[in-house]
Amino acid sequence: MIETIGEKTIESIANTGRFARFLGRALNRSAVSILQPTGYGLIWAQMFTIGVRSVPVIMVTGAFVGMVLAIQAYDQLAGMGLEERLGVLINIAVVKELGPVLAAVMLAGRVGGALTAELGTMNVTEQISAVQSMGTDPIKYLVAPRFLACLILTPFLIVYADLLGILGGYFVSVIQLKINSRAYWDFSAQGVELWDLTTGILKGFFFGGAIAVISCYKGFTCREGAQGVGEACTEAFVGSFITILALNFIFAVIMKAIYTTFWPVQSLL
Amino acid sequence: MREFDLARLVNKDDGLIVVRNLVKGFNGRKVLRNISLALEKGKTTAIIGPSGCGKTVLMKHLIVLERPTSGEVYFKQERIDELSEKELARIRMHFGFCFQMGALFDSLTVYENIIFPIRQHQKIGNWRAVDELVKQKLAVVGMDGYQQHFPASLSGGQQKRVALARAISLNPEVILYDEPTTGLDPIRSDVINELILKLQRELKVTSIVVTHDMNSAYKIADRIIMLHEGKVIADGDADHIRTHPHSVVQQFIRGQVGEADLAALRLGGTRFQTQYNPEDFQ
Repeated sequence: MIETIGEKTIESIANTGRFARFLGRALNRSAVSILQPTGYGLIWAQMFTIGVRSVPVIMVTGAFVGMVLAIQAYDQLAGMGLEERLGVLINIAVVKELGPVLAAVMLAGRVGGALTAELGTMNVTEQISAVQSMGTDPIKYLVAPRFLACLILTPFLIVYADLLGILGGYFVSVIQLKINSRAYWDFSAQGVELWDLTTGILKGFFFGGAIAVISCYKGFTCREGAQGVGEACTEAFVGSFITILALNFIFAVIMKAIYTTFWPVQSLL
Repeated sequence: MREFDLARLVNKDDGLIVVRNLVKGFNGRKVLRNISLALEKGKTTAIIGPSGCGKTVLMKHLIVLERPTSGEVYFKQERIDELSEKELARIRMHFGFCFQMGALFDSLTVYENIIFPIRQHQKIGNWRAVDELVKQKLAVVGMDGYQQHFPASLSGGQQKRVALARAISLNPEVILYDEPTTGLDPIRSDVINELILKLQRELKVTSIVVTHDMNSAYKIADRIIMLHEGKVIADGDADHIRTHPHSVVQQFIRGQVGEADLAALRLGGTRFQTQYNPEDFQ
C-alpha cells in the first residue's frame, strides 16, 4: 500500500518534471523561431490549419452561446420588468467568460485532439526519431510552429466567438423576444467595459499556449499502438480542459485584483 | 576467417564508432549489458539477434537517439553521448538512418522527404541543382519518377527505398539500417541487399545493419555481431559465425526452435488449451 503510494507519487513528480522541461524547451525554441524568418513558412502553415479552419466551428459555438443565454435569462429578467437589460447580461457573460472559455474548450477538442493524434502517430511510426536523426530539433520543427500558431490565433478566434455570441444574443432578444433594439445596445454599452473585452481576449494567449503545449507533449510521449494514440488524445483533451478552467479561475482572481486597484485610477489620468 | 575477441578492451581510437561498457535499462530492466565495440571505417557490420535482444536500441545509441544508462559512445574519437541536442545536430549530419518502417513524413511528398535534411541545414538558392540531386538520389534506389507521390501511395519496399534515398541525401559517412529487409518478399529483400552493397561500393560508406535475416547478413556484411539477452555472444566474419560453437548462435542462424520452446508447446498441447470449444465456457 505504502509502496504503491510512493511509486505513484514519484511517478507524478517525474511526469511533472518531464512536462516542465518540455514546456521550457517549447518556449525557448518558439522564441528562437520568432527570430528566424526562415521558419515562418511552417508557422503560416500551422496558422492556416489551426486558425483559419477553426473559424466556422468557433463562430457556431459563439452564436449558440449567445442565443441560449438570451432564451434562458429572458424569463428571469422579464419577471422583474428588466428584460431591456438582457443585452448587458448576455454580452458581459459572452465577452468575459463564456466566449473565451467555450472557444478554448472547442479548440482543445478540435485542434488539441488533432495535434496529439498527428504527433502521436509520428512518434509511434518513428517519424519524430527520423527528424532527430537528421540533425533537426523536433521541438523546434514540430512543436514551436504549432505552439506559436495556437498562441497567436486563439485570441483572434475568441474575438470571432464573442462577435457571434453578441449577434446570436441580439438575434434572439430583438428579433424573437421583441426587446427594443436601442435599449438592448444602450444597456450593453453601459455595462460592458473595454476592460472586460481586453481580459477576455488576453486569456486567449494563455488558453492557446496551454492547449498547444499539453497536446504536443501528449503526442510526443504517447505509448505505442492505436490504443496508445487514442489514450494520448483523451488525456490531452482532459488535461487541456482542466487547465483552461484552472487558468480561467487564476486569471479571474488576478484580473479582479488589478481591476479594483488600477481601473478607477484611469479616469484621473 | 576473422574473429574479434569479445573480452578485449576497446579504446576510443580503435574505430570510427566506438562503444565502451554500454549499459541501457528501461524501467529497471537491462536491455544492453556492458557492450563494448569498435566499428571500422568503410566496412559493413551486421548486428543480428532474436527480436527484443536490444539490436535497435544499440543502434539508436550510435547517434544518441537513446542516451546510455552508463558507458560511452565515441564518433571519430569524440565522446558524443554527453553532447547536447544542439551539438549532436553537427554529429548527426555525418549519419544517415534508415528506419525499419521507413519513417517517411506522410504529410510530405517523396521529393519533399528527400530534400528535408538539406533544407534543415542550409538555405536553398539553386532549386534546379536540388531537383537534379533528388533525381540522382532516387535513381540510385530505382525510384526516379516518384517525386510527387506521397508515401501512403507507395508499397512497403518502395517506401524503404525512398527512406534509403533520404538517408543518403547529405552524403553521410555512416549509414545505419534498422531491419531493412523485414516485411519484404525475397526478391525485394535482395534488391535492398544489392542497394546496400552498391552504396558501399560507390560511396565508400560505413554501414551498420540491424537484421535477423541471415541471408542478408551473409551477403552484405564484412563483420557480423550477434546479440543475445543484451550481450555480444559472437563477433566475426560470416565464416566465423557459420562455424561458431555457441548453441544459441547455431540455433539462430539455422532458424531452429529451441528445446525450451518445444517443451512449452508440448505442455500446451491438450485440446482444452489449444482449441475453442463453447461447452468449456458454459
